[in-house]
Amino acid sequence: MSISLESTGKPSVHDYFCKTECTWCDGCGDYGIMAAAKRALVELEIAPHEVLMCFDIGCHGNASDKMLGYRVHGLHGRVLPFASGAKLANPNMPVLAFGGDGASFSEGVNHLVHSVRSHYPITFVLHNNANFGLTQGQASSLTWQNQPMNTSPNGIPEDTINPMDFIFSLQPTFVARTWSGDIPQMTKVLKAAIKHRGFAFVDILQACPTYNKFATHEWLLEHCYDANADGHDASDFEAAKKIACDTSKKVSCGILYQTEDHPHFYEKLVPRQGIKTTVVDEVAITDVSELMKEFV
Amino acid sequence: MSRISFKVTGAQGQGINSVGEMVAKGLKRAGHHVFGYREYMSVIKGGHSSYQLDICDSHIESSETHVDILVCLNYIGLQRDLGSVKEGGVLLHLIPDWKFSAEDQKMLDDKKIQILYLPMEKILKEHNSRPIVGNMCVTAVVWGLLGRNYDTLKDMAAEQFAHKGEKVIALNHTFIDEGKKFKEESAGAIVIDVPSPDAARTDDLLVTGSEAMGMGMVHAGCRMYCGYPMTPASPLLKYIADNQNKTNMVVKQAEDEITAIQMVSGAMHMGTRAATATSGGGYDLMSETLSLNGIIENPSVMVLAMRQGPSTGLPTWSGQGDMLLSIFGSHGEYPRLVMAVSDSQDCFDLMPDAFNYAEEYQLPVTILTDKHIAEGLYMQPQYDLKKAKISRGNLVTKQAELDKLVSADRYNPAAKDGISPRWLPGAKAATYCAQGDEHDSEGNVEEGGQNAIEQMDKRMKKMAVMKAALPDPELFGDQNPETLIVSWGSNKGCILDAIKDQKGIGYLHYSYLWPLRIEKLEALAAKAKKIIFIEATYQGHLSKLIRMESGLTFDHQILKYDGRPFFFDELQGKLLTMNN
Repeated sequence: MSISLESTGKPSVHDYFCKTECTWCDGCGDYGIMAAAKRALVELEIAPHEVLMCFDIGCHGNASDKMLGYRVHGLHGRVLPFASGAKLANPNMPVLAFGGDGASFSEGVNHLVHSVRSHYPITFVLHNNANFGLTQGQASSLTWQNQPMNTSPNGIPEDTINPMDFIFSLQPTFVARTWSGDIPQMTKVLKAAIKHRGFAFVDILQACPTYNKFATHEWLLEHCYDANADGHDASDFEAAKKIACDTSKKVSCGILYQTEDHPHFYEKLVPRQGIKTTVVDEVAITDVSELMKEFV
Repeated sequence: MSRISFKVTGAQGQGINSVGEMVAKGLKRAGHHVFGYREYMSVIKGGHSSYQLDICDSHIESSETHVDILVCLNYIGLQRDLGSVKEGGVLLHLIPDWKFSAEDQKMLDDKKIQILYLPMEKILKEHNSRPIVGNMCVTAVVWGLLGRNYDTLKDMAAEQFAHKGEKVIALNHTFIDEGKKFKEESAGAIVIDVPSPDAARTDDLLVTGSEAMGMGMVHAGCRMYCGYPMTPASPLLKYIADNQNKTNMVVKQAEDEITAIQMVSGAMHMGTRAATATSGGGYDLMSETLSLNGIIENPSVMVLAMRQGPSTGLPTWSGQGDMLLSIFGSHGEYPRLVMAVSDSQDCFDLMPDAFNYAEEYQLPVTILTDKHIAEGLYMQPQYDLKKAKISRGNLVTKQAELDKLVSADRYNPAAKDGISPRWLPGAKAATYCAQGDEHDSEGNVEEGGQNAIEQMDKRMKKMAVMKAALPDPELFGDQNPETLIVSWGSNKGCILDAIKDQKGIGYLHYSYLWPLRIEKLEALAAKAKKIIFIEATYQGHLSKLIRMESGLTFDHQILKYDGRPFFFDELQGKLLTMNN
């Protein structure tokens, strides 16, 4: 993905500073994730006015006014189509979409399916704390089995979705997993995701000290390991899928799979081939005399 | 006014539209005024459908209930549609050895209807051809019944099949000759007089409302279109998609209606002009996003193409029952504009206006259309391409002005008329959040009571300002009417045809439904002796809205909710009864 906007001077993390006070619980993974997002943008020399960040509804969505940059805080479950529509209008602009596991695997799961298969060139950051935090700790479809949750005191009767199995079934071009306690790794992953040619899926396992009593910060610290450092070949789809899906003993993190060989959605649009302008640049009264001829 | 009509009925997939469209094009090119109307069922093949063409000596936008020529491609028409032939009319059918019931035979005799049996099976066998080619023969017979020149028809066939090569053209010419032979041998004396043409209109376009709207959107600078198929909005998606290689637009068939409107919203937020269209069910799904666009003050344009009934209802038929939904549907209170097109002229002309209003007032615009407009075939003078102006409101693009902006300019409640400067992601300027939560001037979440009041006041102020700027409803017919008709949308065509040349009757047509301007109506109503309200709904939506806004009530209402449009003779009869 190209970032063609001209940067003027090197941006710093301070440029993203916003005076609004954070409202997350102590120990919430969102602090670390947003710190890493800012670091990644700064290290890529993207200034706040050069990026569009779209937020879903959920605890993570409260980051929408905790940092600067062009931001949108939209509807629950719908961040992906808003972000991809924005991206198609101006493909020169880096677009990041942030969504929780509730929004992305329940209300808006269809958008996730179609965003992966459409290869929209955006970065999707999954804030995966395995529950609906903002509405006070209900189970999501990623909540583990046998976990009493708000409104499911006996645990969920449904099966739990394995998000990696789900994503890999859709022939993704970029899959990464990291966790909210490892800011350097998140930064590295997010930088790669933002630079990726197509749709980048970044699963961030996120501590939720208030409602998630199973995959806690300590549990994640104990189980997560850096697969890239461990010699994993991120170009090997089958190997990536295997280590991504099986989290029974340890949880592979880092860039699990990436290919730059697949064109993204915009590149596949026949009418846009060879056109340098964006559809944002092209808004003007347009002559339709040629179109009229068909009807005479 | 002199008018005639013909109708082709048959199963979907039999090619009834090709007959109707060919005749329409031929007549139009000779300057005859035509209007095409389709009825069909929600199936791909089978079902019972029809294509009707009404022809008049002046501009026409309505159909009659009874026709001069009925063509039945299958036997179902012979059972269902017999009653729709006028006295002295012609019935042309293709069914060998068909026996009418005694009752039907008596009716046909009483009405002196001439019955022509075209032995299509035999002709097809002789030429060893597929049934679809037979439609050219049917077209030729109708062409002959209308007293037209067969060479013109051959030229049109050559034009239509040019891309398929000489062989196909020759085959179609053979079938035109067969039609001519049949007409001359079996119906030599029968000629239905076609109302006189107007030489000034031979270069008119023959377009459906959907095609007109598609061209209007392109003209308006709409550069991205996202849609999910749903009748009667699909023809617009098809037109835009079919032309993408000419227009270079970004076209996306979305996975659902929510995606379509969200992508459009994202694209508009980014700064292009984008649109989507759907019908009632899809609108229900989209309405949450309209509310989002209301609070983040994001311009958006969506088309609601109405059909009749709740749920799936009558999916391929027409109605106006979604009007109040478009005005009051979707949660919370937010400013919006609801406007309605009425014909192919509006479908084109109002598109730049829709985008301009959306951007000037930074709010969602809903354009109402219906199946009757979307699929009606209009004779349309070539569009004036010099008329439309683009207006992007308070969009800031110059760097010197961008440099002066602070984040709080985006949603400052003190903005004049409630309309803030708007600047696009990527602009080198202070950034802001398009915040779906109630927010402060910068788009930070703010739940304070005083702030909630100020932001609501800011947004709703735009409604009042916009209302003052909108055009008044337009008065047609008698400019000092004793009898005043009030209506909107596709009813206009039929109403204008029905009151043509009638003294004392005026028609007030509403294009802008919300916010609703009532001053002109009140002034006319004060002088009129009788006011008649016409709408294709059960409840009379606009009459309720008018009553809500002005207290004005209507003594006379003509309402219709059978999925069919108002027909010329039907409406004229009702108006006559009411006016006496």
